[in-house]
Amino acid sequence: MDHATNIDAVRRPIHEANGLPNAHYIDPSVFDEEKHAVLFSQWAGLGVGAEVPEIGDAVPQTFLGIPLLMLRDKTGKVRVFQNTCRHRGMILVEEPRKIEGAIRCPYHSWCYSTEGRLVSTPHVGGPGQNTHDGIDRALLGLIEIRSYVWMDVVWINISGDAPKFVDANAELVAQWATFDKPLFHGGENSTFQLTLDCNWKLAVENYCESYHLPWIHPGLNSYSRLEDHYHIEVPEKYSGQGTSVYRQLKDDAGNTFPDFADIDEKWDTAAEYISVFPNVLMGVHRDHTFAIILTPEGPEKTIENIHLYYAAPKTDSNLRAQNTEQWKLIFNEDVFVVEGMQRGRHAPQFDGGRFSPAMDGPTHLFHDWVALKLQTHRNSKMVAE
Amino acid sequence: MKTLDRQLLEAHDANNADALVSLYTQAANHTDDIDAACFYLTHAYVFALERGDKAADALRKRLAAHGREPSHD
Repeated sequence: MDHATNIDAVRRPIHEANGLPNAHYIDPSVFDEEKHAVLFSQWAGLGVGAEVPEIGDAVPQTFLGIPLLMLRDKTGKVRVFQNTCRHRGMILVEEPRKIEGAIRCPYHSWCYSTEGRLVSTPHVGGPGQNTHDGIDRALLGLIEIRSYVWMDVVWINISGDAPKFVDANAELVAQWATFDKPLFHGGENSTFQLTLDCNWKLAVENYCESYHLPWIHPGLNSYSRLEDHYHIEVPEKYSGQGTSVYRQLKDDAGNTFPDFADIDEKWDTAAEYISVFPNVLMGVHRDHTFAIILTPEGPEKTIENIHLYYAAPKTDSNLRAQNTEQWKLIFNEDVFVVEGMQRGRHAPQFDGGRFSPAMDGPTHLFHDWVALKLQTHRNSKMVAE
Repeated sequence: MKTLDRQLLEAHDANNADALVSLYTQAANHTDDIDAACFYLTHAYVFALERGDKAADALRKRLAAHGREPSHD
């Protein structure tokens, strides 16, 4: 971009700060800058392991324009590759499917193992000649994207130079160590998708804070009041909110979901909702967790994929459906807000807005994090130039 | 009886990898021309690899015996 936006005001203390300028929500060149500064350079959520439950399952994904292939290799490990043949750059896998043996490029049939090794180069040295001195298969495996699975979310670091996931997210991994155990996806009735006409950051910002709950989620507020919530703020890392009055869902007979094993008393009535920067929104409760992967599709469009998890592989299907409906209702209640804020950012004199020093701490923390990453990115570009 | 060519075309149309492995192997077995045989074996091998067919290893060894694949995968 020719002119960097001014983000100095974002990094001021909350009582003086403004939010990110409009351009960060509507300008394609700023979207592109943030793509590198905030999404590629960090550990971003791509999908969940439950999308590739069995060995050989492969799902093509496009992440910020990059064609990727998420698959479960022959050893059961989830891997992410560029979905591109090393020969002529052809897309390898067009639709979700099971790789039974090798990944065969549909163009000239170069074949790759599920671990990414190039295992066949038919006719590369002429008809029926499958080797050539100029083609070293050992150097032409699929290009693997750094990935890590935590709480079944598949996190990727496109730039390849972020600290290890567990180091970059050490505080969060420790905070939620209780839930770092097998999570069981609720299956078909425990996943849904929302398409939002807004920048991805607005979904993060809205998720961070409890300030909006009594106005936007009055049903939720009837038992979980604003004063029952607390901020979760780890500067330059993550933010969110917690509640001290989580109430388990019950069916007509009073049955509940089983609890996660070995959780301490705090979780009898607590629940926490954290925005894992940049693009994953997560929630934990004594009996279920969820992950929302935000996929930015452009400056003003975002796809939300929501996945719910339980403590046991078999839980009551009707109760799961009821839980999904409950969350769907809540997340749908947020749609007009994030889309309204998006449209609001086309008002040229909007200055990024001000924050409630008492209530918007977690949201400001996210703005500050974005601004910090942008400053780091801009400084490294200046040095490079 | 259908010609091998016709059967191969039908197998390609149907994306029938099992049939392609078998038919290309047959085609290789029916020629005395080493280059032609290796051409067909290459196709049989590729579809066997894709399918995860155990025949892949034997096909690779046949190709390797003629210097058309590395001797070790």
